Amino acid sequence: MDNGLENLFRNKLEENEMVTGSDLKDRFMRRLGRREFFRFNLLRFNIYYLTAAVTVLTVAGVILFSDSGTDSSSFVPEGQPEYTAETTANQPAEDGPEVSSATEGDRHDAVKQSTGDEPGTGTESPAAEQRRETELISSVSAAESITVSTIRRAQTPAMTSPVMVLSADASVSSGCVPLHVTFTSAAGDDVKTTWSFGDGGTSSLRNPDYIYDVPGTFRVTLTVTDSRGRISTASTVIEVSDRPVASFAIDKDRSFEEGDKVHFTNLSKGAVDYLWDFGDGTFSTLSDPSYRYGQMGNYDVKLVAWSAEGCADSITVSDLFADMGMYIRFPNAFVPNRGGPTGGYYNQRTDEESQVFHPVASGIASYNLKIYSKAGLLVFESNDIELGWDGYHRGGLCAPGVYVWKVRGTYRNGQQFIMAGDVTLLNY
Amino acid sequence: MSEQHIIDGCIRHNRKAQQALWNQHSGYLLGICMRYATDRPEAEDMLQEAFLKIFFNIGEYEGKGSLRAWLRKVTVNTAITYWHRNLKHKHQVDIEEYVSTEAGTAGFEEDFCNAEDLYRVLGELSPGYRMVFNLYTIEGYKHHEIAEMLGIDVNTSKSQYSRARAVLRKKLEDLARMKGKFIQ
Repeated sequence: MDNGLENLFRNKLEENEMVTGSDLKDRFMRRLGRREFFRFNLLRFNIYYLTAAVTVLTVAGVILFSDSGTDSSSFVPEGQPEYTAETTANQPAEDGPEVSSATEGDRHDAVKQSTGDEPGTGTESPAAEQRRETELISSVSAAESITVSTIRRAQTPAMTSPVMVLSADASVSSGCVPLHVTFTSAAGDDVKTTWSFGDGGTSSLRNPDYIYDVPGTFRVTLTVTDSRGRISTASTVIEVSDRPVASFAIDKDRSFEEGDKVHFTNLSKGAVDYLWDFGDGTFSTLSDPSYRYGQMGNYDVKLVAWSAEGCADSITVSDLFADMGMYIRFPNAFVPNRGGPTGGYYNQRTDEESQVFHPVASGIASYNLKIYSKAGLLVFESNDIELGWDGYHRGGLCAPGVYVWKVRGTYRNGQQFIMAGDVTLLNY
Repeated sequence: MSEQHIIDGCIRHNRKAQQALWNQHSGYLLGICMRYATDRPEAEDMLQEAFLKIFFNIGEYEGKGSLRAWLRKVTVNTAITYWHRNLKHKHQVDIEEYVSTEAGTAGFEEDFCNAEDLYRVLGELSPGYRMVFNLYTIEGYKHHEIAEMLGIDVNTSKSQYSRARAVLRKKLEDLARMKGKFIQ
């Protein structure tokens, strides 16, 4: 045997030096720094550890203090709301809805400020504590005034009777088709009630349930006629958004094997956001993901699609790969063990030297393999997919050369297969 | 800094000493990693792991033999660990790679290819072949030692080696033929 090849590699590569760039060095030094930091060592107790310790203690302290801070503020506003609610409830009656919407704005500010103050509570002075008390009071009073203003806004300008306070209340004001809405009339029982739902539907019940099955914006009108013939109306608007349609496809023409990437094609309509559940605990938010399963099997794949309005639709395909993963393939050469017959039982994992001629197969229900020599002599037959040919016939190693094989059988879905080919018995 | 200074500094995790060690030896060690890796990024990854081992275990170097040899040993061990971790790829051997071992016995001219070419040819080999070929040819281990290190059979080591050799020979012949065409 010549050593030209070995010498070539040894001479060229044994002492060969490469250029390592400075970016690789920087990357490594950062990695080393992190690793050293997390391997605590008293010898290296330096400023970094000190900083970390101080930071941890500070954070712990802040958490402790802020906890006691929120406790003390929670009891403060008690007893106050009745009084303030009274005064502000009167206000909108005098000044109209503009004022009440202004207090609504104030409420948001107040909430924002009081939450914004939270982290600093450890150092707060009594004056600041006082200020927060007042904010809490004002936020409670603002909440009261809001209820007043909603009642006022629900009243319609077309109201003909100043005596009756009428409102058309809906359980929801917007949603996805089909949308179920419960309407509530504030009018009493001694009146004639007519609801018009805006899509042609009507009802004479006082509190009807209604289902919108087409998307759109609908003006709902409530008309009430009392015993003296006075008519009041109120209205509200319902927005019904269309649902997307979730749908997807995979390339079904080819069989999938261990380690293959599966390409999912998204066929959804009217959707902007997606969530894929590949059925093995992995998720993706891509539109058209590709996924490589760690192990082939039957997975339930689910796709959830959301429209821009937040309406969702989902589709689940169970056992997506049920009729996939059915294949059988044969190598075209093998090298039998020269030391003696191995019996032919092989293991995909250990037969790395390819000492046994056997198929790579999946999803096989029944199986028959026959191997003939070129002279037409049957040298091997197996009905067991786990049993391949070790290259021996009647205890003797067969001559190197080409052999012909024929296989017939069925896949687990009942589909038949018949294949034939040749294999070279190698000798080295 | 003398070599002993650098070693002592590295034991104390002195950043300057570590940088000096990197500057002096990273090129050589990357050359080793390149032999065991599929491509350059994988080699750089291996190199980083090797240096982490080196910096955390440099106290174990007792001055027996040269520092360079010790570094090389740690790096080769890292490559073996790396290979074990990616063991699942071990069985992916293309049928096309079953080349007759008898093919061609002519020696190779030293000058027709450079280190880059050899790294690429090695990188195209399946990881198991590459591992055995490296350990046997360049590191100079015996087949029974390789079998022990990799947890495989002695015969597997032998057969993988001879197949690796055959595949390499074929690839180099192709390369030589291609280069010959370019010259004409």
